[in-house]
Amino acid sequence: MTMFGTNQLLVDKHVEFIQNLDKKQDGLEYWMTEHLRVSGIYWGLVALFLLDRPQALDHEQIIAYVRGCQNADGGFGGHTHHDSHLLYTMSSVQILSMLNALDQIDGKKVTKYVLSLQQTNKQTNGQTTVCGDVWGEHDTRFAFIAMAVLSFFNTQDQLDTNGIVEYIRGAMNYDGGFGSKPGGESHAAQVYTCVAALAVAGRLDVVDRDRLSGWLAERQLLCGGMNGRPQKLEDVCYAWWVGSALDILRRRHWISAEKLVEFVVSAQDEKGGIADRPGDVADVYHTCFGIAGLSLVRYPGLNEVDPVYCMPRSVVRRLGLHKWQDKVPESWSQ
Amino acid sequence: MHGRRRQQEREPTQDELQQAKQRVDRYRALNTHVMDLKATSVFTNDALDATKRLLEQNTELHTVWNYRRTIFTSLDEWQCQDTRQEMLDGELKFLLGIITKNIKSYWMWNHRMWALSSLPRPEWQRELGLVAKLLALDARNYHGWDYRRFVVAQLKDAATDKHEVDTQEFAFTTEQINHDCANHSAWHNRSKLLPEILAQRDEDGQLEVLQTENDLILNAIYTDPDDQNAWLYYDWLLDIQKSDEDRSRLLRNKIAAIRELLELEEDSKRPLVELVSAYAELERLQSGSVSEPEKKECLETLRRLESIDPYRVGRYTDMSRTLSKQWALSA
Repeated sequence: MTMFGTNQLLVDKHVEFIQNLDKKQDGLEYWMTEHLRVSGIYWGLVALFLLDRPQALDHEQIIAYVRGCQNADGGFGGHTHHDSHLLYTMSSVQILSMLNALDQIDGKKVTKYVLSLQQTNKQTNGQTTVCGDVWGEHDTRFAFIAMAVLSFFNTQDQLDTNGIVEYIRGAMNYDGGFGSKPGGESHAAQVYTCVAALAVAGRLDVVDRDRLSGWLAERQLLCGGMNGRPQKLEDVCYAWWVGSALDILRRRHWISAEKLVEFVVSAQDEKGGIADRPGDVADVYHTCFGIAGLSLVRYPGLNEVDPVYCMPRSVVRRLGLHKWQDKVPESWSQ
Repeated sequence: MHGRRRQQEREPTQDELQQAKQRVDRYRALNTHVMDLKATSVFTNDALDATKRLLEQNTELHTVWNYRRTIFTSLDEWQCQDTRQEMLDGELKFLLGIITKNIKSYWMWNHRMWALSSLPRPEWQRELGLVAKLLALDARNYHGWDYRRFVVAQLKDAATDKHEVDTQEFAFTTEQINHDCANHSAWHNRSKLLPEILAQRDEDGQLEVLQTENDLILNAIYTDPDDQNAWLYYDWLLDIQKSDEDRSRLLRNKIAAIRELLELEEDSKRPLVELVSAYAELERLQSGSVSEPEKKECLETLRRLESIDPYRVGRYTDMSRTLSKQWALSA
């Protein structure tokens, strides 16, 4: 049962919700999530841009804050004085590009930071991969982020792309899906990062398109929502992780858009924001990926989102990053 | 951020507001204190203690985990093997105490790996036992499985008989599967070990292993014909066969098994999808091996699936179009 009669996205309420995030300083949660503030801003901004309300947050204030999160090593932390990590470097670069302020940072410094995290690792049998930070965790997420971040500055050919593509291939499993690293179990979020990485690299040939599309399509449950892997619960954020991967594979039509919309809309909090599932507490992360998921299935009134970069298509185009589409295998676009 | 139910809100009392404010103030004070120490490069036991108190409250502060590691390596005690061993043993105990707070924390698992990798005398077998206990609590926790693979890699590295390590791990997955044949994470791990097991055997041995594998997965399929993962594993077993003859033979077996399942329940979605893909694969391996009635049955099945599984109608219409084109050409 949905509270909303018609499938209705409460645009004004979500805008308010995002605007009020920075005002919840009485709550412990605000302070306990300080370490990912930059990502929180990215999630809020994407939602606003897709809702066509980009001016709802103060751009200058955000730009100043994000610039303040850059460290001497060229990377960005999740908050001022926090250590650099690729996760927050990605969010920072995405924010600045959406706000047309990418030229306010030194792309060479960021490139140098990202490249310093590329390494050939004993645990990956001598394959090349990228670590999240100097402490050495490697994950296909970081391989994607490295390629994506450098593409903003047109320095991606300084990476060992072939090596990294082999690492990603090593993370592919018998079900066609991808895990966090070679040996890791398939998971929809990792599928997105790997497929998006391969799209940026122009190497979607690595993907077992039919097998993976089938696996992704099975993520949609009876309630219309998606899960991240078999037997797990539905969650609004998979509308994005699964939807974007299917979009890149040109198989968006293998799931029911109508049922997905019903599910995401029913997970809204009438006071604003979207939760992981109906009846739960809303947060900016699920608000972002719920709206991005709706944009992918062309929910009316939303700006189009790019399935690789999770930013408005208009921004991606402005930066010249839409060219990944030209490298999608021809046979896929029948 | 996940799985928290909305609750009916009433106005908080003055007392509750006060308590909430005090909690926030305490947390912020501790956080500021630790970040100040870090900013001034303080690497003392007191600083270590402060980071511990903060991390107990918030396991996700990766900057503080970084700082904690830096303090460890800066202390004099780090330089001596015995005291380092003591420090890190204590760290492992500390981590074990808080891991249940957030069993999905990347930062905590990373820190544990760092501690183990820095130990002069790491006990990898004990770690294996520990992670087995954790997986018993949550068999699908991929952090646990990733960590297990990390530990096994270390054991293999140090082992004189590396094959034995793989064999034992393989047996662990068998145990997990016998306990619950729907444990996808165990099947996944098994899929990474099977090639190693096969490589250890001669040709006859390999056939034996594959036959056992076949029986195991069929058991899972009969237990739950809707288990999508079981069918995917079954398909993969077909992929790793040595010859097309073997593949074709097993595909015919697969079709026979599906027909048995359909006799029990004729609108069973998964077996119906698998029926079509089995015939499609058979025909792909050897043109003409699928009869005209069988081909017609496939297209009819896809039409039925559009009603049985309407969310995925796009997939079934794509499959119909592709097969109609392919089979019309080869007719």
